[in-house]
Amino acid sequence: MKKNKVAKTRMTPRAYMKRYWQLYALLALPMLYLIIFKYAPMIYVQVAFKKYSIVQSVWEMPWAKNHGFEYFIKAFSNNDFRYALRNTLTLNLLDLIIGFPAPIIFALIINELCFKKFKRVIQTIAYMPHFLSWVIIASLALQLFAPNAGLVNMIIKDLGGEAIPFLNEEKHWVGTYIGFGVWQNFGWGSIVYLAAIAGINPELYEAASVDGAGRFRKMWHVTLPGIKPTIVVLLIMNLGNILGSSFDRPFAFQNPLVMKVADVISTYVYRVGIRGLQFSLTTAVGLFQSVVGVFFLLMANWISRRLGERGIW
Amino acid sequence: MKKKLVSLLLAGVMVLSMAACGGKDGKSVSKGSDELVDGKFKETKKITVEIYDRGNDGGSDPENNKFTEYIKKGMLEDHNVEVTFKKVPRWTEVDDINNLLAAKEAPDICVTYSYPTIQTYAQMGGVIDLSTYVTEYKDELPNLWNWLTETNINWDKDPQDGTLWAIEAKLAVSNRVLTFVRQDWLDKLGMKAPTTKAEFEAMLVAFRDNAETLLGADADKMIPYSVSYDVGWRAATLIESFLDPKMSDKEYYINGFDDRKVTQNGTKEAIRLLNKWYNMGLMWKDFALYGSGDTTEDSMMKAGYVGAFTHNWDYPYRNGEDSINANLKREVGENAKFVAIDCFEDKNGGYTKFVSGPIDRKIFFPTTNDEPLASMLYLDWISDPEHIQYLQIGDEGINHTVTADGAIAIQAATGNDIQNSGMNIDYTITCNGLKLVSDELTNKSRALNYPGIDPEDVVKAHTIANTDLRVGKNVNVGAIEAEQGVGDTLSAKRDQLYDNAVVASVADFDKVWDEYMKDYMSAGGEAIKAEREQKWKQFFGDSDTLK
Repeated sequence: MKKNKVAKTRMTPRAYMKRYWQLYALLALPMLYLIIFKYAPMIYVQVAFKKYSIVQSVWEMPWAKNHGFEYFIKAFSNNDFRYALRNTLTLNLLDLIIGFPAPIIFALIINELCFKKFKRVIQTIAYMPHFLSWVIIASLALQLFAPNAGLVNMIIKDLGGEAIPFLNEEKHWVGTYIGFGVWQNFGWGSIVYLAAIAGINPELYEAASVDGAGRFRKMWHVTLPGIKPTIVVLLIMNLGNILGSSFDRPFAFQNPLVMKVADVISTYVYRVGIRGLQFSLTTAVGLFQSVVGVFFLLMANWISRRLGERGIW
Repeated sequence: MKKKLVSLLLAGVMVLSMAACGGKDGKSVSKGSDELVDGKFKETKKITVEIYDRGNDGGSDPENNKFTEYIKKGMLEDHNVEVTFKKVPRWTEVDDINNLLAAKEAPDICVTYSYPTIQTYAQMGGVIDLSTYVTEYKDELPNLWNWLTETNINWDKDPQDGTLWAIEAKLAVSNRVLTFVRQDWLDKLGMKAPTTKAEFEAMLVAFRDNAETLLGADADKMIPYSVSYDVGWRAATLIESFLDPKMSDKEYYINGFDDRKVTQNGTKEAIRLLNKWYNMGLMWKDFALYGSGDTTEDSMMKAGYVGAFTHNWDYPYRNGEDSINANLKREVGENAKFVAIDCFEDKNGGYTKFVSGPIDRKIFFPTTNDEPLASMLYLDWISDPEHIQYLQIGDEGINHTVTADGAIAIQAATGNDIQNSGMNIDYTITCNGLKLVSDELTNKSRALNYPGIDPEDVVKAHTIANTDLRVGKNVNVGAIEAEQGVGDTLSAKRDQLYDNAVVASVADFDKVWDEYMKDYMSAGGEAIKAEREQKWKQFFGDSDTLK
């Protein structure tokens, strides 16, 4: 950024373009991607304000009632949407509270291991779950945690205990859901932090040692401050996603017994919008979701800048 | 500078794409009869047809096998129409057809069990009105009219504006749901088949308490009574036994939106009984965790862990070598088998079963269908008795043998000759159930329709399935607005209601039922009930019964 500014003040725009046009040419392709796949579809956002018709183009569809806000009103007066909103928030917050620090802690621990080979094996094992799709993980969960036929419950019962309803009771289900999320992601998520740790100047550690710092002191005063910017950027991005939700994870884990806590916005949109063919209603929900997401992102970024961090822009 | 450039670029592309999206693809649906010469098109027409994919073990490709070849060849020869099949997973067909419709990629001829889906789509202008086609081309469609008759063709015709969004396939056999029990277990415990709920419960208790005797080392796998997440279907006989057999048509209709009868008077008491059984340890604990189409429960039945269950009237007999009974015979023992029983008495001491009218799947053409006439001819071709018969029984010596008295005995085929669905019902889209060229032959052959199964068991199931029937009537009051777009939501809620009520503690049952019922009613159930009541009044006045 700064460099550009310097260049700008020195050169005329013409000269500037002549010199840097290759860079802009390189930028064109990703821009094109964004425009075609991210911006052009936004035209259909207006479906949220219109009465959807399969045969009319989006410009011809009539406006919805209440100045176009019919479907927003309908969504917010709908119990299911309110449940889905609540569940999305709860599950994402839990994911954030438990799932966000997990990779950081893991990266710190991995960083302290001195046997290189052992470290690599551990890392590889921790990455692996990331490559399993949620459908597979959900069937694994069923095999392990079903009350009757699940391996874990079979063992518990053989040891004389009561089967634990991991998947079929609401509170337990939430725990299982979050647990699997952490399990799938902590290894992969730690890569970024490990890279950041690798970038810390070794002299700082040496200096700390000279000053008499032990392992934990060094972790606290050197490693953590060293990766703080990375943590903040990732936190901001995670906060921007607080109302967003992946589809496959909740969808694969849901069952009729726990729908009250398991139905999130993405699965609600799928069920009501695509299966129930209420496109306008669910576009409205999607739009709301995005707007709140942007709001959170901006806010997190603003707070981070106020706290003296860099933010993401 | 950079910002300026980017925004310029953005704006440019925005304008371009908006212009591109403004266009509209118009198409004409009217096709003159003059293109037909002796029922054959001058130019070859192309249509796509939906076919259910059941993903059977050892099944053939549903889009390309011996039977699709037969259809393709016949259609090309008789009507000069080229047919392509498009498979849709059977157990998630409603979701899948919805997705295809939304993506405008649905086959020209679509089949679904969900009329509300069609109706919702029709309201958006996405379905072709068939009323003109069935009347204008009546002469070209003799087989269709002969087989389906006025009743099924116009079943869904709107009484006010005359539109016809779908044609109802015919249910050749109205048998619905029965309860099955392990005959060998009864024998082993010296019990007789139960004939009342109390006896049934006593039998389940006996199964539970004698698990060691019945299953030996696998005693802990014992499941006296098994249902799936779809309790409404999988306990249908029990639920129906709690309804008033003399309920008025009006009451049955007003509370009848849900085909699992969740809002009928009496259903709650049926589920209360299931709840009691569940808490007595008589039922499968994991039932709600496995979704539609999952084979875990079937595997347990096949392995011999299940004592009793309720399902489609021929469920343990289906699928030849892979049928539940065939598996039991192999895995458990020569005399291990499920037999049908009639054990849930209603309040009059009968065994009333509420069956639908003679309707089955609903056939419709989405507006993306450019060849409605060719598609109608397909429906006619597939309704030809000869064609139905061939698809149902296949080739002699391969798919069936002819017994001494002329009856058709189906035999298990393999490889390309296999029928992916019993009697190929997925191909005979206008007909569900055995229908041979003559009724006499059909009746003679019915019991021999299930290779490897004792014909007596089939006859017994068929007899029970036809005991004390209450056949549904066609309450045709046109579209119910409140039903549109809520079908899937309400079905999901109904399953949640049933499942949670079954697993609740006995003390909490009422609380759980009422809470979920309130949710169901407020999500659309109440509005549907009210509109149905109002429509009934509008069309039938104060009368409680349908003529």
